[in-house]
Amino acid sequence: MRKMLRATLFLALILLLAACNSNDAGSATTDGKTTIEYWHVNAETQGGQTVKQLVEDFNAQSDTVEVVAKYNPDMYKGLMQNLQADAAAGNAPAVVQVGWSFLNYFSDNFSYVSPQKVIDEHFPEDKTFLQDKFLPNIMDLAKNSDGEQVGVPYSLSTPVLYINRDILREAGLDENGPQTWEEVKEFSKVIKEETGKSGFYFQEPADNWATQALLESNGAQFITDGKATFASEEGIEAYELLADMVLEDETALHIGWDQGVQSFIDGSVAMAYTTIAQRSNIQDNAQFDVAAVKSPAWEGKDPKLPAGGSMLAITAPNEEEQKAAWEFMSYLYSIESMADWTKGTGYVPPRNDVADAENGLKTYLEENEMMTAAVEQMDGVVSWASFPGDSGLQAEQLLLDLRDRILEGSVTVEEGLTETEDKINELLQ
Amino acid sequence: MSTLTGIWGKFNKNRGNAFGYGLLIPSIIVFAIFTFWPFLYTVYLSFFDWNMISPEKEFVGLRNYMEVLSDSKTYRIIGNTFLYIVLLLAINCVVPYIFAFVIDVVLKRFNGFYKSAMFLPAFISLVVGSILFTWILNPVSGPLAIIFGWLGLEIPNWTKTQGWVILVLSLITSWKVFGYNFILLYASINGISREVIESARLDNVPLWRLFLQIILPMSSATGIYVFIITIVQSLQYVFTPVKVITQGGPDYASSNLIYHAYHEAFVVYRTGHSAAISIITMALFLILLFLEFKLVERGIYYEN
Repeated sequence: MRKMLRATLFLALILLLAACNSNDAGSATTDGKTTIEYWHVNAETQGGQTVKQLVEDFNAQSDTVEVVAKYNPDMYKGLMQNLQADAAAGNAPAVVQVGWSFLNYFSDNFSYVSPQKVIDEHFPEDKTFLQDKFLPNIMDLAKNSDGEQVGVPYSLSTPVLYINRDILREAGLDENGPQTWEEVKEFSKVIKEETGKSGFYFQEPADNWATQALLESNGAQFITDGKATFASEEGIEAYELLADMVLEDETALHIGWDQGVQSFIDGSVAMAYTTIAQRSNIQDNAQFDVAAVKSPAWEGKDPKLPAGGSMLAITAPNEEEQKAAWEFMSYLYSIESMADWTKGTGYVPPRNDVADAENGLKTYLEENEMMTAAVEQMDGVVSWASFPGDSGLQAEQLLLDLRDRILEGSVTVEEGLTETEDKINELLQ
Repeated sequence: MSTLTGIWGKFNKNRGNAFGYGLLIPSIIVFAIFTFWPFLYTVYLSFFDWNMISPEKEFVGLRNYMEVLSDSKTYRIIGNTFLYIVLLLAINCVVPYIFAFVIDVVLKRFNGFYKSAMFLPAFISLVVGSILFTWILNPVSGPLAIIFGWLGLEIPNWTKTQGWVILVLSLITSWKVFGYNFILLYASINGISREVIESARLDNVPLWRLFLQIILPMSSATGIYVFIITIVQSLQYVFTPVKVITQGGPDYASSNLIYHAYHEAFVVYRTGHSAAISIITMALFLILLFLEFKLVERGIYYEN
């Protein structure tokens, strides 16, 4: 008897579990509008308000589509993780922001539809929109290693050097800031001596974007033919400059990203190397004479700056949602929306005709000198290195671990870079 | 047909039993779905190489366990886990015990105020708490750094320094756990017969003896509960500040087993490794629990 009962209970349980697994999500349509989800990474301090505004305006003017914006913490990596979790559960949003460094990972692991395909099928009037409005080298940023157009560039950013002119003047330095990395080091020393404040903060978020800018500007290559090659002579020299400033000169801070930017804003550190996307946060909150200057170069070399930011990709599973997705995207890519996006975030517009358009950013750029640095250095933009294959994320993580070890002084730059390069190449095999 | 009637006959005989099982079913289902099933699935996953998204999983036998156990990182993280346990026990079990004793037995005034003041932080989300403390404890420009600066002192760069990072994260976690543990212990101490305490007072028993020899044994049933819940729960609560502030860094110095299992699964997508770490964690905790039953449980005083 007992056995019987146990068996029935077990059966009931399995049935119940099976039932739990089989409810799948479809596209919800309420009052005739197609509801789609738009996933973004913009916290309140990084353009979240603009996202909200754009989505609200879009919903108000559209009779066919209702967009729900969903914020994903922890930047593009966090969004990838949530997308992974949702895909495992059989769901998918319609439009997602994909960070450049996840381009290959995204196209290898998720199902998406090329925007041009959706346009060709449903919006013949937009047929040449992407060719006409975007520069070819910008569109190339959104192509994966097989040359497929995965998405459309949306947010473009480059690292710039924010300077506190008050501190520079107090220390008797050029108030236009340093032009080269060698000067950054010298400036920081003088600032420390003259004012007692920290000279420099190099951003430390959970990615290696700024590190790539530092190393590649000196002639190193993060990835060559699918292999990690950052531990070259130039790479080591570049990383050593940063490590020396933190460890030897003690003129640069080694703290978390939020804390670092906060310290720049309240005037405890004179210069901060971080993304132009922090521009409105810094501009709104800094109580001193603040400026943004172009990313420093290395003596006699041209800077190479990885494009930060993201593209928009369409992950909607069915045609109805795909159609809705492009309708929403074409709204986001209008000159007015692009201009709002730039004003709210500090991202450089990917469309070629926004900066000069009257209804775009013409007057805005004339008034906002801080943006000029980012717009001017667009010619030095290269793609954000993204390690290929399944181990890409692990490789990225190894570089982050290395940053901690180098900057706390537990490993020398040369040893650490070489060792990590070997480890990554082993992983990538 | 005959078998069916046979079953029905037996069923009638054991009606009392069946009724009991029937009442158990709801909780068994809940347990099965949220505890047993995930556990079994974790065991299953620990034998596979999988990235959570790819449709096929590759069977690798014990390789995940071998890789985890031969990784020096794992041992650092186990070490961190025990350091967290020791610190959290001190902050969230020993200290609230003493506070509860002092407020209930020693202090005569403002008891109500202390009680609510101690409990209040438990209402606030740890995420909010973490962000708040990141700002307050910013070693360069946070308010505390400024106050310390006036005194000529410096705050250690805790988010990036081994050791310090665990201490500060434990303190931030206590923001959430302290108040709850405090209230539990307070209630228990409050329930001890006043006559015992008063007569001890009349005999001029010093406070430390009153605490160690009367209060501690008589409230030990709650004490052991708080002791265990501190170990189990706070290790999970630590997860929040680790995730918000350090993401396990610098170089895994603030990671514990629970965060690392998350990190392997949801940051680098090695579900096999993550599952193996989870199983190892469970084994460790089973040993701890066994020791607890063997060594501590006997000396506990249960009133009823």
